[in-house]
Amino acid sequence: MAVSPLSLSDCRVLIVDDNEFNRKSLALVIRRAGITDIAFAENGREGLAAVDRFHPDLVLLDVDMPVMNGWEMCEALRRNATHEQLPVLFQTALDSDEEQVRCFDAGGSDFISKPIKPGECVARVRHQLEKRKLFNDLANFRERVQRELSHARAMQHSLLPESRRLTEVANRYGLTLDAHFETSSELGGDFWGIYPLGDRRLGVLMVDFAGHGITAAINTFRLHTLIDRFPMQHVAPSQWLAQLNSALKDVLPTGQFATAFFGILDMATDTLTFAAAGSPNPVLGTPVAGGAGGGPDLRLLDSAGLVLGASRRAQYADQTFRLPRGGFLFLYSDALIECPGDELGPLGQDAVPDFVRDALALDRQRPLRPMMDRFYARTHLPLRDDLTAVWIARRA
Amino acid sequence: MDFKTTETAEATEVRLTGRLEFTDHDRLGVIAAVVQGARTQRFVIDMIDLEFIDSAGLGMLMILQEEAETRNIKMILRNLRGDVKRSIDLARLGEIIAIEA
Repeated sequence: MAVSPLSLSDCRVLIVDDNEFNRKSLALVIRRAGITDIAFAENGREGLAAVDRFHPDLVLLDVDMPVMNGWEMCEALRRNATHEQLPVLFQTALDSDEEQVRCFDAGGSDFISKPIKPGECVARVRHQLEKRKLFNDLANFRERVQRELSHARAMQHSLLPESRRLTEVANRYGLTLDAHFETSSELGGDFWGIYPLGDRRLGVLMVDFAGHGITAAINTFRLHTLIDRFPMQHVAPSQWLAQLNSALKDVLPTGQFATAFFGILDMATDTLTFAAAGSPNPVLGTPVAGGAGGGPDLRLLDSAGLVLGASRRAQYADQTFRLPRGGFLFLYSDALIECPGDELGPLGQDAVPDFVRDALALDRQRPLRPMMDRFYARTHLPLRDDLTAVWIARRA
Repeated sequence: MDFKTTETAEATEVRLTGRLEFTDHDRLGVIAAVVQGARTQRFVIDMIDLEFIDSAGLGMLMILQEEAETRNIKMILRNLRGDVKRSIDLARLGEIIAIEA
């Protein structure tokens, strides 16, 4: 990328030198290069005050001065975080290697030797000012992106069910509902939602767009607008997923896709009917007849299916399982099973039932918290992918 | 991920090693260039040495498939095993990309 030459006319330079002739001749040199905003100080102490008052973009600093010398002034500047990046150009008549190194040790950015050579002086001043401008541009850019990402992150969280809504829905249908959501890089490609379908049925959707970051997040917003377009009330989950698939195929470029699970819990018939498009295998738990004794029966559900947005011809299949009172469904995105730890490998799909069983032993009613505690204890942070985990249990 | 290309009279073949994931996106263009430069009508991706593929990696396979399709080249995934086979089966990529045992 070509960088347009910096106009020096906007730059402010502070000259600190106890010798009036030196101050004047340096000012003359840099004024010829276009710098007109120049302030002066006669020693280090005055120099420090001038930095705070004048806010220079660069300091031309003599070494040998009364009251406070240049090295001391530069060290004082560097102790102050505000002036950590301020370019300081020493001008020195000391030409021993040791003394020049001392300029850098004090925090100097560069030095010019006296007697001043006008061409070299302007070139070094320009170089330092350009470096400062690039640094500031980059810092400003970074700050702006961080700010925007955090706004976008809040927007993305607002797409997900709030905890008050979870409580409301849980009470309406006699459920325990817990959810965890964390994105890997400020923004993520995970999405989940619950959709009341009358008094006895509840739709549950979990979607994970490939990749993470801004592209994946934009896709979750796309998805959110699509969901309302397809009523869930009178179609089978497989049909609903097929509709969503076609709509996503229209908008997603090749290579972008989503895995999905869409299920309908029917509290009247005690069933879960679902269709899936390549989401990680959910865990279904059903209470063992006779109660007491051992824990529930746990099984991994087959969630294979062509991922959404890959082909218009994709078809999905419905599967129905019993989900009576006391039973539960655990949904999660692939981060749970794919993120490795510092010493341990990733959890892996097959270990999930035991992972759930261990958590149930710690908290029979709300095992999501112990599951997440254990996941975070074993996993290397920050996460490499977005993590969503949803626990839905029918109260006994 | 690393890969090695071999070209025979019948097919252009790339053999992937390591992990094919989000961070490999920059390499995609290099493999796509292999498809573009292929002198045969068969493009085989050998996965015998591939240990892991994530969702972004699956997306890359779809992009390569499209690249091959527009050039009338048949793309084939070969020697899927372990976690890689599992991920590809779960996503049912076999419905849109040819897979050989």
